[in-house]
Amino acid sequence: MAVRESSRHLARSVPRAFVPCNRTPAFLGRRNASDEAPSRRLSDQLDELETASSLSTTVPEDVAKSFDPVARSKGRKSQLPRSRYQFRSPKYDRGPLHPHQPPLPSDPSSRLFVPGPFSLPRAQQTYNATVASDILTLCYVHTPPGFKAPVKAPRLREWDESSPYHKNRPLRGPRGGDVLRLLRKPIKFNNIPEIERITIHSYVKGAAQENSGWLHVAGMAVQAISNVRVETFKSRASVATWSIAPGRDTVAVKAEMYGETMYHFLSKLVDVVLPRIKDWPGVKGSSGDSSGNITFGLEPEQVALFPEIEVNYDMYPPKMIPGCHITLHTTGKSDKDARLLLSAMGVPFYGKIVH
Amino acid sequence: MSMHTSLRRSATTISSSTSSFLPTQSPSFQLKSTTFICSQCRHATLLRRPKRPYTFTQLVTLSDGSAFTHRTTSPAPVYRATRDTRNSLLWNPSSSKLMNVEEDEAGRLAAFRARFGRSWDASAPVTDEAASTRDATQDAAAKKAEKEAAEAQAKADQEEEDNLLDLISSFGQDEPQVSGKKKKY
Repeated sequence: MAVRESSRHLARSVPRAFVPCNRTPAFLGRRNASDEAPSRRLSDQLDELETASSLSTTVPEDVAKSFDPVARSKGRKSQLPRSRYQFRSPKYDRGPLHPHQPPLPSDPSSRLFVPGPFSLPRAQQTYNATVASDILTLCYVHTPPGFKAPVKAPRLREWDESSPYHKNRPLRGPRGGDVLRLLRKPIKFNNIPEIERITIHSYVKGAAQENSGWLHVAGMAVQAISNVRVETFKSRASVATWSIAPGRDTVAVKAEMYGETMYHFLSKLVDVVLPRIKDWPGVKGSSGDSSGNITFGLEPEQVALFPEIEVNYDMYPPKMIPGCHITLHTTGKSDKDARLLLSAMGVPFYGKIVH
Repeated sequence: MSMHTSLRRSATTISSSTSSFLPTQSPSFQLKSTTFICSQCRHATLLRRPKRPYTFTQLVTLSDGSAFTHRTTSPAPVYRATRDTRNSLLWNPSSSKLMNVEEDEAGRLAAFRARFGRSWDASAPVTDEAASTRDATQDAAAKKAEKEAAEAQAKADQEEEDNLLDLISSFGQDEPQVSGKKKKY
């Protein structure tokens, strides 16, 4: 008995298609004697169908002539009421287990949706048309067929098992310091370095020393320059001489630009602002964090050269215009790649170039 | 009754923890903090609509007449750049036009030069004069000079070829020196 009966667990584990179905299918080509019963007779149900097709009916000529939906919608004085149901994204995110989930930020109905891009910036066109292929050509390394690259030592070294305490230890860092550099792969068509984002950061010490007006002016100036809303940050370090305590004083302003906004800013910076700086030697050749991000600073007088600030110069108290640090983040894995990209985009470098 | 009290207690503990967290709330801080991880958040976070400053389309005209549009917060429809990449020396290091900028609007430097000569700054005109005088005087010695010049030319060609061969053969050999220098720094 127990052997013959299939277990409940088996029935659950077997996919639905393999489970034997006890119900008779709705319609089959096969005829049974019970089909002729009065409740199930097919011919009775067929009688209810209309014989004539609705497609064959003819429309009167005047009705067809008067049908002009375009003219009707144009002749309408006010708009039609919108449809009864309109989706509004929930105002609050109530966690992953809540039944009302907000849509993704990429969904136009989301509250976090940012439309765009609306233009193809000049710097981006330059990058796509010339710079990308130039970099690909410059970084090409030819290896003859059959060439095998020498095997490199592992980046994280193993412990020599000289002590029993070496067992299960985490691997050692590289020789000569604990910094594990980014892995630089050969540049192919799919990893050509490009500019990822640009950050404008401004540390305003006057905001802690005097009043918050410094921070407001700095925020307005950076927003005007960058076309994006700024974020404010509190100090993490304690600077006794400026009477700045960590966590208490809001001292910094930052704007991050991506995509379209970033390229607009870059072309404005390179084409208009940097050439106007008096006796500017360029970006220092040793700048960079050795992982493809290059930073340089602008003095307050140089920030005032941006056309957005210049057009409305009287709005800003002249003393309070902030200096800023501009970081160009690239997807290049080393500073050499980043400098190659940025110099192709028009950022000049001077001095000893450190890679 | 006991059920109610237990529920309330749990609710208060959670709210207190959230309230202690909320004053320092900023999006970046929230992302960074790894200590506050709850499987089920009882509070709701407000989804703020992202704010963007209004931007205008502006036509930027560079000094050489080329123009492009970009989006800025500046309401001016046209921006004419007087100083840009097209006429600054840093972006055009080989441009002779930008190199020797001599501000001589009143003509004073020119007047000085006319009066006291130009021996220190203009070498090209002097060589021209020298060439012309030589042409005038040395007609007879021209053939000899030509012969010598041809010989010198052949010699120079040979030398250049040697140099090129040297360059090719010694291509990768000075690399270790360079790396040694790098290591010193």
